[in-house]
Amino acid sequence: MNGALLWMLVGIGLTVVVVRRRSVAVALVTTQALILVGVALNDAASAGDVVAAGALAVRAIALATLFLLLVSRTRELRPVHARVPPLVRAGAAIAFALTLTWLVPALGLDSRDGDRAVLALVAFGIVTAATRRATLFHVLGIVLVENGLALAALELPGGASLAIELGVALDLLLVALVAGVFHERIFAEFGAGDSAALRTLRD
Amino acid sequence: MTSREQLAWTVVGAPAVIAVLVVLAPRRVVTALAVAGAFVTAGLALALSVLAFESLSRPVVGSWIVVDAAGGLLVAVVAVVGLATVVFSPGYLAGVDGSLGSPGRRTHTYFAVLYAFWAVLLAVPLVGNLGGAWLLIEATTAASALLVGFSGKAHALEAGWKYLILTSLGLGVALLGVVVLAAGIPGGGVAELSWHALTTYSSGSERALVAYVLLLAGLAAKIGWAPVHNWLPDAHSEAPPPVSALLSAALLPAVLLVAWRSEQALAPVIGARAGQDVLIFFGLMSLAVAVPFLWRSLPWKRLLAYSSLEHMGVIALGIGFGTPLALAGVAVHIAAHAVAKAVGFYAATPLIEHEPRATERAVTGIARTHPALGGVMGVSLGALAGLPPSPLFVSEVLIVAGGFQAGRSWAAAATALLLALGFLGLAHALLETTVGKGRRRDAVRPRGLRTLAVLGGGSLALLLGLSAVALWLPGSELVDALLKGIS
Repeated sequence: MNGALLWMLVGIGLTVVVVRRRSVAVALVTTQALILVGVALNDAASAGDVVAAGALAVRAIALATLFLLLVSRTRELRPVHARVPPLVRAGAAIAFALTLTWLVPALGLDSRDGDRAVLALVAFGIVTAATRRATLFHVLGIVLVENGLALAALELPGGASLAIELGVALDLLLVALVAGVFHERIFAEFGAGDSAALRTLRD
Repeated sequence: MTSREQLAWTVVGAPAVIAVLVVLAPRRVVTALAVAGAFVTAGLALALSVLAFESLSRPVVGSWIVVDAAGGLLVAVVAVVGLATVVFSPGYLAGVDGSLGSPGRRTHTYFAVLYAFWAVLLAVPLVGNLGGAWLLIEATTAASALLVGFSGKAHALEAGWKYLILTSLGLGVALLGVVVLAAGIPGGGVAELSWHALTTYSSGSERALVAYVLLLAGLAAKIGWAPVHNWLPDAHSEAPPPVSALLSAALLPAVLLVAWRSEQALAPVIGARAGQDVLIFFGLMSLAVAVPFLWRSLPWKRLLAYSSLEHMGVIALGIGFGTPLALAGVAVHIAAHAVAKAVGFYAATPLIEHEPRATERAVTGIARTHPALGGVMGVSLGALAGLPPSPLFVSEVLIVAGGFQAGRSWAAAATALLLALGFLGLAHALLETTVGKGRRRDAVRPRGLRTLAVLGGGSLALLLGLSAVALWLPGSELVDALLKGIS
């Protein structure tokens, strides 16, 4: 994969970390996944590769539909502000990504830039889940991590397998679906999809 | 396909089919169907375990299916705990009114999700491929999170959400480890990651070690090892009590088996000692984090949850020490922990009926106001504390002795010290919970107490039997098979 595309994927990931609106973040992770679909189709060498790319596309579109449905069904009366300001979030995400890149030796993907992009997306996903209060952003953090792993699968020297690609897509959809059920119930119970309300269980 | 492979597919398929039947069944027969199906599923799974133990020297090792000693042990544990969980579920469902799904189909939803979870859980010890194992573990997250939040109450939603998000992120990190391993396997591709193929990793030991650490760090979030255990006390305390039993007694060790298999498979590449060091780190960390909580006055289910953290740490240490003595201890510990912990969680349903404040605070003197219930709770907590002749006492002695046998004197000594401190905490809780000064309680006879009393008696007999087995186990063919792993 060329460097410009990798930078674009990483840039989109960083934007998810700082963006305020849930719908914009959904659009960004979907765009990221569709770019990966394009790359997968471009690199496809067999029918299996095309089906794997198709699974990635179905996953991206299904998740986008689910998330937008959740956004429309759970309109927040007041914005749920993140507990950390956007610039600090971006700084933390970049610092975490650089630390991972420094700590983790080459992953063995097709290029070292590919390694760095994968680690950056994993770092951005974790920072998104850790620093946002809106529950939907927690799930988007997981999707960001999974997009990073989809990139890793595309950059594998032997390519990923169809069975595993389909399985990962199905698992992520299941997790997102369950998260959607919880998100709606949390919204109904607390009046907002705000994880600040989910801090009562402590010892 | 051998008969064991066919049976393995049937063991996984049966609960999956029953999950579908439960959805389609009329309301009046759902519970009966679920209970009958549980006996069928457990019977098939136990038959597979017996076959696995009968053929210890000839395990089935394929790219997608493995039937070996460790898998047989875990399948038996998942089968027995799953059966008891289904049997105790009607008692729980009779006492709650809320649910995540539609109220009219509450029983359908509960049993369908429980069976789906059970099917995936039975598949985890049987899967012959690291990529497949990851997929199954992720699938357990989706099903079990729904069960954790099943009551739909605020605390249950909080616990279910934390569990879903933290374990999914952890499994994302584990998948990165899987991908790094896939990059170094000749032939490439994640599907080629059978346990055998991991031994052929050819991109250098340093990179393999990184992949292994990523994999274990991710799985640790699911096993509930410290320091990534935050979801565990919340999920285990807020889930329906029968589900808590399945989570603690079956899910955690089943995922731990995947970590164990990875360690054994990668040992030739990263070095046995490096792989074991990581397990010992997580084990000691979990014990050290759990012990202070075992000294505190906690609600019953929360106390059991912290005890899970302690016991998963002990099992990690046993695997990390990796000697015959330690592995004999691990086998006994997995089985005995499952029995003792499951009984403790099953007791929570009648306990909450008898003493509604048990959800919020530590309860005292239960045996004074309800001797049968107090007795069952005492059996559970006494066994978990490692009070002789509990099999967990024997297994802990074996694991510590195994640590010294492995030449890891400092780790073994630290384990012994932490276990002694944990014992003191749980022994204090045992006395307070059963014969401590209790407040006056209404003479309400909790539902399902007769079943619990029968199970309590059976469990006591089983635990004593396991103590006897623990003395015979070192040097047995089973331990040789565990030591050999899938090679």
